[in-house]
Amino acid sequence: MAHVKTWFGDIELHNDEIVRSQVLKADIDAMAQRLQREDFADFDKECRGRLREIAIKLQVVSSELEYVSVLRAVMIQSAKERIVTAFAQPDARIIQLIDGIDDIDESINLLSERLSEWCLLTSETSMPEDLLEAFVSSPSAQSPLAQEFAGSISRLCELRQEIANAIELEMRTTAPNLSTLAGELLGARLIARAGGLGSLARMPASRIQVMGASKALFKHIKYGTKPPKHGVIFQHPLVRGSHPNIRGKIARILAAKIAIAARLDFYSKRAYPELLSQLEKRVGELQTAERNPQQHEDITP
Amino acid sequence: MANCRPRSATPNNMKISRHKVAGVFLLDRQLATKGEALYGERTFDGYRLWNPRRSKLAALLMKQAQVPLAPEQIVLYLGAASGTTVSHLADIVSLVYAVEFAPRVARDLVRLSERVKNIVPLISDAAQPDYGPVVELVDLLYQDVAQPRQAEIAVKNAELFLKPRGHACIMIKARSIDVTAKPKTVYKREVKKLEELFDIESVHELEPFYKAHAAVIARLA
Repeated sequence: MAHVKTWFGDIELHNDEIVRSQVLKADIDAMAQRLQREDFADFDKECRGRLREIAIKLQVVSSELEYVSVLRAVMIQSAKERIVTAFAQPDARIIQLIDGIDDIDESINLLSERLSEWCLLTSETSMPEDLLEAFVSSPSAQSPLAQEFAGSISRLCELRQEIANAIELEMRTTAPNLSTLAGELLGARLIARAGGLGSLARMPASRIQVMGASKALFKHIKYGTKPPKHGVIFQHPLVRGSHPNIRGKIARILAAKIAIAARLDFYSKRAYPELLSQLEKRVGELQTAERNPQQHEDITP
Repeated sequence: MANCRPRSATPNNMKISRHKVAGVFLLDRQLATKGEALYGERTFDGYRLWNPRRSKLAALLMKQAQVPLAPEQIVLYLGAASGTTVSHLADIVSLVYAVEFAPRVARDLVRLSERVKNIVPLISDAAQPDYGPVVELVDLLYQDVAQPRQAEIAVKNAELFLKPRGHACIMIKARSIDVTAKPKTVYKREVKKLEELFDIESVHELEPFYKAHAAVIARLA
């Protein structure tokens, strides 16, 4: 006796004969929903070869042509649902937001450069230190077009801040441990680079450490140059703010803790604040050792 | 795609001939299948031009390989992406089950399958096939997934879905499997893995259309 679960219903076969069946007939929505909801076990190749024949015998469809058209309609429906769920995941939202910030940063830089060029035309005197500030605060001195241009840039800056706030909010609920350890924005960037919180959680720490330094990494693998010490995690204040001699070590420790944090966030959502204090303690030790290099040596009289 | 705007008149001097695979045509020396334009490709008199730099299957057909394609076939296509190749394949064979996991490109694939009657879209991970209740036995397994574990994925899917003595056409992107090794070494390693389940019929490098890519044509042992 073989129990076969197919997209159009459940069938029981005995010696190749259908003994019992429960099928959905021409109800495309119900078929698509059943595919999303239930678990399906694999069945043997012989039944698989007879799917069309069985569907026709059970009068789910009347011809092979109809088999294909009904199946196609069901799978289009189910595919659409899957795509919607995939885009509704919080990490998918975070990725969009952080990519948005990167695009805005690029635009702000580009537009600001243009503005400073423009400024050379309109004001022959000294160029103000903070150009944008000067344009927005004393608009009368500049041409109305340049003024408008500067206004757009400062609105982009405001938008960037709003997006950053949204990311912080999303990250606090989706990845609390990662946020505590790496900061919301860096954490979000790591998720975006990995392609999702799940893939970040499945990554080894060594890969997290050099994520974003792929050019240097592959140069190292291919030509034997020095390996990169850090990728995007360089942005973390503990790495960036430390002496270059110990940055590599700190990057390694930080990456290891980030890996643990991502796993906690993805698999359990439990907050584990000790992670940060452990990291700070370890980094503190390293920094002290760096400042007093003789500490461990002068033992012999 | 402004420069790819469909043109319909056949230039007078264009010679239309058949490729040795039924359903594939050569317009002068350009590959084409019959049908309406679906993704912005150029058309001539109902023939859709098929760019061998955009589709590995087209590149393989340009290489004069013995490609196991026939009009009555059912194909399981792993790694359909937005469906460029799938759309041409659907002109050649009777039915294509097209598997794609990445939701962004899958959206294009679904849009395509709404227009073409013999494409069934499956939004799933080919490495963990959950389309068991849906896909029937197929004549051809086509794989273009560019993943390090692609040989294992091909073997797993062939075990579940390929007819006895059915064919497989597997595109290997050496750079996705091992960037540091020589492409030829990578092909050899992958072929060895495929030999567990398949008889290998031929291996074709896809130069000059694709760098460091090869197509393996195999048959279930």
